[in-house]
Amino acid sequence: MKKIKENFSGLGVLKILVYAFFLLFLVIPLLSIFLVSFTDEPINIFGSFISLDTLQTTINQFKNATLDNFTAIFQNTTYFASLKNSLYLAITVSLIVMVICIPIAYGIARTKMPFKKTISALCTIPLVIPTFISGYSFIIMFGRSGWATQIYQYFGGEGFLIDPYSMTGIAIVQIFFFFPYALWPMVAAFKVSDISLEEASRNMGAKSWLTFSTVTMPLVIPGMLSTALVIFAVSFSDFGTPIILAPTDLNLIVVEAYREISGFFNWGGAAILTVVMIAIAGLAYWLQNYFTKNMNYGSVSGKPKQVRQNDNKILTIPLFVFSAFVIIVPVLSLTTVFLQSIATTWGRGLLPNGYTLGHYQTIFTSSLGNIQNSIVLALGALVISVVVSAAVAYFVVRHKSTALDFVTTVPLIVPGIAVGIALIQTFNTAPLQLTGTAFILIVAYAMRRLPYMVRSTMSTMKSIKADIEEAAINLGASTFTALLTVVGPLMLPGIAAGSILVFVTVIKETSISILMAPASWAPMSLAIFQNVMRAEYYSAAAMSIVLVVIVVIFQLIAEKLTNRSEKKMK
Amino acid sequence: MGSVVVKQLTKNFSGVDVLKNIELDIHEGEFFALLGPSGCGKTTTMRCIAGFEAPSSGEIRIGEKLVNDISPHRRNCGMVFQSYALFPHMNVFDNIAYSLNIKHLRDSNMFKKLGVYIRMLNSKLIKYPKEIEEKVNSILEYVELKEHARKLTGELSGGQQQRVALARALVMEPQVLLMDEPLSNLDQKLRHSMRNTIRRIQQELKITTIFVTHDQEEAMSMADRVAVMNGGEILQIGTPTDLYSNPKTPFIADFVGTSNILSGKVTKKANNLTCVQVGDYEIQSAMEVEQEDVQLVIRPENLIVKDKSESTIDNYFNGIVEVATYLGSTVRYDVRAGDHNLLVDTVFESGDKIFEKDSEIKVVVDPERVLLL
Repeated sequence: MKKIKENFSGLGVLKILVYAFFLLFLVIPLLSIFLVSFTDEPINIFGSFISLDTLQTTINQFKNATLDNFTAIFQNTTYFASLKNSLYLAITVSLIVMVICIPIAYGIARTKMPFKKTISALCTIPLVIPTFISGYSFIIMFGRSGWATQIYQYFGGEGFLIDPYSMTGIAIVQIFFFFPYALWPMVAAFKVSDISLEEASRNMGAKSWLTFSTVTMPLVIPGMLSTALVIFAVSFSDFGTPIILAPTDLNLIVVEAYREISGFFNWGGAAILTVVMIAIAGLAYWLQNYFTKNMNYGSVSGKPKQVRQNDNKILTIPLFVFSAFVIIVPVLSLTTVFLQSIATTWGRGLLPNGYTLGHYQTIFTSSLGNIQNSIVLALGALVISVVVSAAVAYFVVRHKSTALDFVTTVPLIVPGIAVGIALIQTFNTAPLQLTGTAFILIVAYAMRRLPYMVRSTMSTMKSIKADIEEAAINLGASTFTALLTVVGPLMLPGIAAGSILVFVTVIKETSISILMAPASWAPMSLAIFQNVMRAEYYSAAAMSIVLVVIVVIFQLIAEKLTNRSEKKMK
Repeated sequence: MGSVVVKQLTKNFSGVDVLKNIELDIHEGEFFALLGPSGCGKTTTMRCIAGFEAPSSGEIRIGEKLVNDISPHRRNCGMVFQSYALFPHMNVFDNIAYSLNIKHLRDSNMFKKLGVYIRMLNSKLIKYPKEIEEKVNSILEYVELKEHARKLTGELSGGQQQRVALARALVMEPQVLLMDEPLSNLDQKLRHSMRNTIRRIQQELKITTIFVTHDQEEAMSMADRVAVMNGGEILQIGTPTDLYSNPKTPFIADFVGTSNILSGKVTKKANNLTCVQVGDYEIQSAMEVEQEDVQLVIRPENLIVKDKSESTIDNYFNGIVEVATYLGSTVRYDVRAGDHNLLVDTVFESGDKIFEKDSEIKVVVDPERVLLL
């Protein structure tokens, strides 16, 4: 009797609502897309619960279930090629990123490389640019009339320096825009790996390069493997770059899945591609977890020590030149997009023919709606994430709710395009017809970003000791009042920073926007995408710059908030 | 103010009995200490009284009222937490006013409730009513924190935080005050002065107080009565002097103060004396026992060191001084007596002889001072 009463108290109801949210918008959609890969036809799970006819249809669908789609992935040459290409791309990108990052990370962590601070700061640029904008910037630079192509041809080159519309083009964009994801973990690994071991090696007579290859590198390798897997997953799931750059004859699994659903309404095909996508991303995530857990040497995860910095000019100058070369590419991309946005026209020339603010004027008059949409959608996603993640953090930390803890990590491994396809399939028909509404779009955005929000909220929650809440209750407050007046205000700074990051990433989000946004709710990212597709490059550039500026401003605010709350907690 | 009565309280955490049949009868206005090593169940007992743990079975009465089914926020027992658990986002005044705000909240209608909530979130927006203002100010004065009222709790020293925690618990005029190791986070010097402060406040307000500690000195110096706990059970309840001079078990003898504890066998009983064979020695005790196997408990200050040459004395061990520590007013000897190690505390007056290391000595004890357990 007491148990029942507990379950129906305010907190009990909240817990049920949170479970319902994940069941409705994550578990059932993923489950039903898995089932669709067998039935080859869309199924109506919610309908089956309320209508006998629908249930009968669904049962008949299952009677006709086949493994055709699973064999097709190996026999249908398009599907198989798309999987092969995606794997090839992701492996290549992650390997090259690793190789590029080693010298830069070493330079930042262990040497007195010139302009180290500037390089570190510039290395954050790729993180604020959505990949479809970077892909598009490569078209402006390396396309037929791009300035890079012009320079190349001036010096006697034939055709393209790099063909942006190719596997190579996609790989290069991903390499130059994903490398910061690997750089910072690697810098951290170099910083904490034990310097005294290196000194011991040198003391035994080993030369610098020998020390580096036999002592420093092996210590950093476990960290690097897990980082490589992160890059693999990011590249494999990336939708923005290939949707802009992939030529029609180049199949990548994300693009293929998108085409199956938005072009042909081939549910079975889209479903099987989604299932394969999730399986591979899940495997990468699992391996990455495995490496970080089991292969960390003690010294790598140790406390940061005072690191002696290498000041040898013969080493630091080449390191600087290399780092500068890597970082100049994203910087030039952004500059190019900016120049395009203020160009009257830009033909075959190094610089635009003239300058104007007209494109900004145009987007602030005709495309203001897109900016508004983006902000409204992002705010909606923010509200959902804040409420859900605060509740999840509370239940996981205080009630040790491991099931919730697990379910919130699931969206981490599901590529955006897969989330979109699963949601569209599930909510396509009555009784819960939500596809094409702003609501389901917001839910999709929120779901994508929830894992990050939950992690950061949970760490804030953990820093609030249980006895503070007990003290409030002891002083007469009900659980609700204690949450409202004590736990809530203490969580606020952490939630604020996290929620701004949700806001920012939703504004950057590409795959979900392109797949799910209805025309009446088109956000900036969709507008830019459509402009690029229609070759309206100038307004696309201006809109991109507006988007990047919004992202940068909010990212800075979030950083300030995090720093302030960290100081307060100390 | 109220009495606290606990009857047949048990608590089971996933198959492990943390509390076994706890019986307590704490009088109104009494300062009662729960003493025991860590993990003995003393904190769990207190948390059951506060309502943070639900008993597996048994009764808890506060002021004669059965509170088993009353939720913790309705029990009106003020608690001082080990970590103080002050609200870091509120200043000292708001912390102390918290429970008064809650009372205000309960008595208000919907509209006023909103106002109280806003005040609890930011006291600059809505002013406190006069009676709360006065009450908090008077308790602030009482704990000598008036000038710190507007500071955030993080800006205070450990001792000041402790006093805020105490004031916050006292201002709600609780039926019983619960204190969970409140002094363990303070340094030695502060701990001594806080002991006196807490004791003084308790006596002035005559508030029933339950004090959890693992520090026997703290319990003995502050409490009217002490319950010694171990392994989820209460071993003995008594006044500090009672516990010290008549411990019921060797564990208590060892935990409360310092004791020499030796195993022996009863050989004969004569002239109201019990003779016990301890290794090579026969020691007499004025205590009578039934069983044959006994533990001898002798306090270090009840042993007397004599020169080996002094003859015609009864009831002694032969020993060799291993360490002699001069402590000012006393000298402590670590004595090796056959298979036994003895601790001896002797009062030292100037001119007294200190036995050097390796001196051969006799350690004498009065039969009246030998406890058999």
